[in-house]
Amino acid sequence: MSENKYLAALKESIVALDFAGVVKLAKEAIEAGVDPNKAINESMVPGMAIVGEKFEKGDYFLSELVVAAEVMKEGLKVITPYIKGEGAQKLGKVVIATVEGDHHDLGKNIVTSLLRMQGFEVIDLGVDVATEKIIGAVKEHQPSILGMSALLTLTMPKMGEVIKALKAASMRQKVKVIIGGTAITQDFAASIGADHKAVNALEGVKKCVEWVSSPGRRN
Amino acid sequence: MVEMTRRERILKASHREKVDRLPFFHNWRHMQTGWAEREARNRVMGISWARPSYVTKIHDVDISEQWLKKDGQTVYHRVFTTPVGTVYQDEMRAPGTGQWHGMRSWNDITPWCTARLIKEPEDYKVVKFIVEHTEYIADYFPLEQAKDWLGDEGVVMDVQPHQPMQTLMIDWVGSEGGRFFIHHARYLDLVEDLCQAIAKSREPMYEIGAKSPADVIWCGDNIDGVLVNPRLYEKYFLPEYEKMARICHKHGKLLASHMDGRVGVLKDLIARTPLDIIEALHPPPLGDLSIGEALKAWPDKVIWVGFPGSVYTMGPKATREHALNLLRDVIPGERLCLEVSTENIVSNENLLTLTSVLENAELPLTAAKIDRIEKALKR
Repeated sequence: MSENKYLAALKESIVALDFAGVVKLAKEAIEAGVDPNKAINESMVPGMAIVGEKFEKGDYFLSELVVAAEVMKEGLKVITPYIKGEGAQKLGKVVIATVEGDHHDLGKNIVTSLLRMQGFEVIDLGVDVATEKIIGAVKEHQPSILGMSALLTLTMPKMGEVIKALKAASMRQKVKVIIGGTAITQDFAASIGADHKAVNALEGVKKCVEWVSSPGRRN
Repeated sequence: MVEMTRRERILKASHREKVDRLPFFHNWRHMQTGWAEREARNRVMGISWARPSYVTKIHDVDISEQWLKKDGQTVYHRVFTTPVGTVYQDEMRAPGTGQWHGMRSWNDITPWCTARLIKEPEDYKVVKFIVEHTEYIADYFPLEQAKDWLGDEGVVMDVQPHQPMQTLMIDWVGSEGGRFFIHHARYLDLVEDLCQAIAKSREPMYEIGAKSPADVIWCGDNIDGVLVNPRLYEKYFLPEYEKMARICHKHGKLLASHMDGRVGVLKDLIARTPLDIIEALHPPPLGDLSIGEALKAWPDKVIWVGFPGSVYTMGPKATREHALNLLRDVIPGERLCLEVSTENIVSNENLLTLTSVLENAELPLTAAKIDRIEKALKR
């Protein structure tokens, strides 16, 4: 099989959510001498982009988005060890967390996976993360973006608490803040001083890319 | 029209009959008690109360429970030992859990499951054994007692668990990190086999509920179209609702499902279900379907509308505006009840504001009536 055929087949395995196929093809492609960087950037990443388009059109749902990300991870496990050098330059750094009192991680994890696939370095603090820990992570890692998630109405105010703490620590101007969660509204985001409320994972990731790609980016 | 009792109002509206005013009640599992709640109830508010019609016995399974320290957290660890293997689950329980209703903490949060029963493919056969050895036994005392206590104050519902596939998605496999979706993609045969076993084992439970003294058979499904996509809903949920409805309707019971998420994407499929009541439907900003749209989409269903928590957080003015907009959206107000949470984030002021709007919501609603309510509140 030619390199182009391998690249096309790998891409298709992501779109088709084919766990077994992606691993088999990734192994065969590497054995056939396909450039691992090409396999990722010209095949698997575009495959995820197609999944994203299908999601936006309503042909695919969250379940397919999650499974596609997992299929891609399986493929990456095979291919990544063959990448020489430092690989591509990171697009930007993101600290992400589900706020204190909230253990929901589905949305946060999807955003994390999609950000990493886009080339971001993501420091995922996990769920039920105290305000002080988030502030500590922003101080330590100096990300260009802070992402916060909350599903519960009860835990939403914690996001405002974090933004207040960022201001108190004179860090608010250094980091963009994006928030997400079912109960979050644009009004709420505005009321706590967040920069953006993600409509869904894909839209949120697009906003992050836009921020770091625009002139005068903060990282 | 003669003033109805709260119970008559809820039941008649739920049977799609005409009522004197928009039924308004709070849900026992999400209710506060106190002076404002008493005032609201004296003025207009009723109660819905959910209790089970059965007890379960699990045969040939040893269950042990203990508190353990894991990764610096104290978890409630339960181990299920069967002849075909062992599974366990861990829960974190916040202060207050077990000290008031519904296994909820002081902040109204149910225990967080930090380790689900099903983690690996080999866990499916163990859980299937547990399912197949679970016996459902009628026990109507809780429902009889609640009916006796409530009298004309409200309605009593029989609690049924999440639908079989929903049990797997949000209880036993869990959606954390998308785990259910990944299992469903990787181990479809195991997932479907267990789902069928759950459905079969619960058939006696449906009969018990249908023959119970409950007014409504309520499935606590927690449907959200983002998690339960249309393909899953059509394949796994519709057939189960049809089975349940056949049994419930044979015994004259209404069947309700709890859908407090974003169900716009499921709108057409929900219309095809034999459900009588769509319970806890939340309009935007929490949900993604206005109640007006939902009423049009589901002409043979009654909607018990929930009140979005995020509106309560914005205070009494936002609460009043949302309530008035809701009334305008549902004119003339038929096939509708307003079933709200009144716990925690619902301040007394919010509750009384809501009561002031709804105690005047006489049916049929008209734009002029709603304008009058608004004017009276601004005085």
